[in-house]
Amino acid sequence: MPATIDRHQKFWRAATLCGGLSMVPSASISATSGISVSTGIDEQARLPFWETSDRGMSLRLVQRLPDQTRGFFEARGFSKARAERIAQSCVFQTVFKNISGAAEPSPLDYNLREWVVAHKGRTQGMKTREDWNREWRENNTPKPARIAFEWALMPTRQRYAPGDYNWGMSMFNLAPGTRFDLTVTWRQHGENRQAVIKGIECAPDIHPTPAELGSR
Amino acid sequence: MKCAIIWAAIVYLSSSQPLLAADTHTQSLPALPEPLPAPEFTLQGEDGETYRLADYRGQVVVLNFWATWCPPCRYEMPSMEGAWQKVKDQGIMILGINVGEDADTIFEFTGSYPLSFPLPMDRDGTVVTSYPVMGLPTTYVVSPEGKVTHRAVGSREWDDPQLLDLLRQMKRGN
Repeated sequence: MPATIDRHQKFWRAATLCGGLSMVPSASISATSGISVSTGIDEQARLPFWETSDRGMSLRLVQRLPDQTRGFFEARGFSKARAERIAQSCVFQTVFKNISGAAEPSPLDYNLREWVVAHKGRTQGMKTREDWNREWRENNTPKPARIAFEWALMPTRQRYAPGDYNWGMSMFNLAPGTRFDLTVTWRQHGENRQAVIKGIECAPDIHPTPAELGSR
Repeated sequence: MKCAIIWAAIVYLSSSQPLLAADTHTQSLPALPEPLPAPEFTLQGEDGETYRLADYRGQVVVLNFWATWCPPCRYEMPSMEGAWQKVKDQGIMILGINVGEDADTIFEFTGSYPLSFPLPMDRDGTVVTSYPVMGLPTTYVVSPEGKVTHRAVGSREWDDPQLLDLLRQMKRGN
């Protein structure tokens, strides 16, 4: 890992010296070499998000309720049983962007197969499009459903030019309500970069009433 | 005082803005390192017409791959319609290739998002996989010579004057 100290790192160091980092939930902060990590409530989804950003990169994971995922895939031709299987797989809406500007443009490369999910002392990879597609082909899922599924997920590998981004679902293959840490790896500005987002929580499998949804 | 400023910044960063397309648009249209021959296709449009890429040789073609359920695809559609209104008589074609959906679904979508440029349907995903598309939306620009020269991953403000000027320059052969 590069050990460059940039202004972000100086900022967080100063914050630590101010003695206030304990005010920020420990689960939300795990920065490596100037990379920031934060959490909060996504304004649009009104659900928790976890976000990491670096010089030229930003990644936000927003919880998706299992009910939202069930509804989405049932509407696109999946049987109830298969939509249920997807919904129980810890799904996040993901926005990954190359935000490098004109002053310091750089392509950004990533491969989801390099990302590591840590849960209860064990590590595993993410469940990618290709993993799922193998299952769908084996159990003869209708092609229109498979097409929608494939394009709804984050690409397994991608190269973003400055200004490019994707918005898609990420699946972590964990039970609803599970907490996990995610090690995110990417390459930009000629360096391999890494961030650990700690304490991400899969959405619980709740069934809000219309009144509760209205008050969200 | 310094600590107060730092903590004010932390509070600001912790409540950071959602990463919506609208918040951080960069009007970039990156050129490919090497232009690629644009794979040919023939697709039925949502309007019942047949669309062949080869029919637009000599024009600049903006090929947008999209789906109705894709939030950034929906986001950029009004600006793509705005662009179409400005360039449709200037030798620039916009084709919004829908991936995997049927005419009824697209028709319903256009009730909320009025679109007048052609919407060919790639029902079985054959065309989208013939291009190096990894995620939706992805938009390619095809030169009058039939080469893919530019790619945008994610939404853009397509009616941005600078983007339109780039397309016009390509049409003029500059």
